[in-house]
Amino acid sequence: MSNNLHQAGVKLLKQLGRHADVVMDVYLSGSINEGQHDDKVVEKLKKSGILWRPEPDQDLRLKRSVRALLEEALSDERNRQIDANVGSALATIKTLADHYKEARANSDYSASEAYLADLNEHVYSFTDSLRYSVRVLWGRINNEFGYVGSISAKIRENELAQSQVTELLNGLDMFQFSELGEIAGDIRQLRKLLITNMQETLSQCTQELSVVQARLFELLGRFRQIQGRTRLLKGWLLHNDLHPDYVVNDHVSHNNIAPLFNCSEPLLAAAHVDVQNPQHELDLLDIVAQVKAINHTDKPLNTRETEVAFSLDDTQEFAIPDNPLKQAVDEYFCAIIDSGQAQSALEYLAQKQLPWDSESWIYQVIGGYEGLPEEHKRFFELEPLGEPDPIYSGNYIIHDVELWLA
Amino acid sequence: MSQTQLSSSSDTVLVGTGQLIEQLLKGEFICKVTNEDGLRALKNPQTRERVEDYLNQINRTVCSAAEGDVFFCGYLQLGDAERKVVSSQFKEVCAALVPMVEWLLLVQEANGQDEPLREGMPIRLTDLQTCIEDTPAFSEQLAKLSGYRLFGSNSSSTDGQLKLVFKRLVDLGYLIKPNAEKQLFIATGKIDYLYEVIRFIDETEGLNLEAQAETATQRDLL
Repeated sequence: MSNNLHQAGVKLLKQLGRHADVVMDVYLSGSINEGQHDDKVVEKLKKSGILWRPEPDQDLRLKRSVRALLEEALSDERNRQIDANVGSALATIKTLADHYKEARANSDYSASEAYLADLNEHVYSFTDSLRYSVRVLWGRINNEFGYVGSISAKIRENELAQSQVTELLNGLDMFQFSELGEIAGDIRQLRKLLITNMQETLSQCTQELSVVQARLFELLGRFRQIQGRTRLLKGWLLHNDLHPDYVVNDHVSHNNIAPLFNCSEPLLAAAHVDVQNPQHELDLLDIVAQVKAINHTDKPLNTRETEVAFSLDDTQEFAIPDNPLKQAVDEYFCAIIDSGQAQSALEYLAQKQLPWDSESWIYQVIGGYEGLPEEHKRFFELEPLGEPDPIYSGNYIIHDVELWLA
Repeated sequence: MSQTQLSSSSDTVLVGTGQLIEQLLKGEFICKVTNEDGLRALKNPQTRERVEDYLNQINRTVCSAAEGDVFFCGYLQLGDAERKVVSSQFKEVCAALVPMVEWLLLVQEANGQDEPLREGMPIRLTDLQTCIEDTPAFSEQLAKLSGYRLFGSNSSSTDGQLKLVFKRLVDLGYLIKPNAEKQLFIATGKIDYLYEVIRFIDETEGLNLEAQAETATQRDLL
């Protein structure tokens, strides 16, 4: 028997594998386009119960169980099916437990083994489906029902999820652990399975479901708020259209003004510059530097208060009196020409007892020599008299200059 | 040692609240978009008290709206002069309601959103403009609303109308433009304040705006 089952199962799965393309096409599009696929393949799949026809003139669809398998394995978010039928699962578990106890009491070990395995399977699949339901709910919450477009659709989806949570929680309430305890009695395996294992899962799921419920309420509130705002805006325009002479009541004429309307008038204007503050000096300078002076040409020209008449006359002769120092230097040059002898500037100064300071005298002599036109300069030689600095090399200190005819 | 640390930390808080108080006194709305630090400071009871102390000296107080996410400056005590100001501000808000609501619905519909604009939501002006230009109904709506006194546009091009409307909205504090180079705008908490004003009027005058809108849409569906 079990060998037959094994073989049939393997055959079914192989068939699924072989025609995976077809199965996935049907999964994605909802129904099969019979012209597109091989008739033989479609027929085979129909025979093995993977495809079925809900109504005679309808297209072929995937069987619910195959669909559920795919939805779960692919974590498809469109899946909103939740198995909230806790009652029947509980009844099955209780029945199997009774079978097991009876077989045990009759010392029918092989039967009791089989019942226990069955019971294990049911309990685990039940807890698994519970956990799966919670996971699906979370998935829907986390993307905020992103698989539907409009806010009202989201609100409907939210309400569906809320009803599913309520149903699940109601179903979980049906579990009475005292009753299960009685059924399990003092049989260790049963206690472990029905009490320890189940209680842990159930308390976890109940806890999580209450969080889910809170989140759903919160989301619903937000969706409603969003919807409410749109409606508020539309209602406002509608009201204004329907009542063209509508004026908002004067809500601020009461003694108690709603805090919402208590707006004070703007008070602050820009502060003034403190030019005395040295900390601001740099910034202020920067600002001043950026100020552009714009002189508009259309500004009226300043006119003189009194018109002064003037006429073009011949320029009057004028002479700039020669500097006496310069004249003295010229005389020194002439004296050299007259005498034909070399004479130092300071000697001449002392000889003539001229009133000038010796240093400015020497400078004026050098200046006079350099100031001569080139052809005159050639007649003279100017030799500085001095010695190198005793301490700092490269410096030459001039005491006097000597002039003679070349 | 610890005392100096304490005084220095309170100093920095003061510096922070200085800007905040300035914004409040300028009549700006403090929200997450306009001044996130300021909002946090006002939500903190200690700093809020400090600001409150300062404002109370000049007969001002901190008011809040939108479940404490928007703050603004109001009067502590209402004398005759203050009442006059409040009344004129109220009239201004009421005059802005119809154009603002029309604009909000236009933006929502043109962007194909379920949700009307709220604090923190971005608007890309170029996208909006393309959409409005492509749809004659939207450009008609824009032309109508840009002519309201609140916006005061007399431009005949969609581009000119839209730019002026957005500029006015930035000036009025309903939007901010974070980057001068980019045509991206972000709604401020003042928009949320506007919803609250409409809701207040709706509730106190018993207008049942939401119900009116719903029956109208149901009639449309039929």
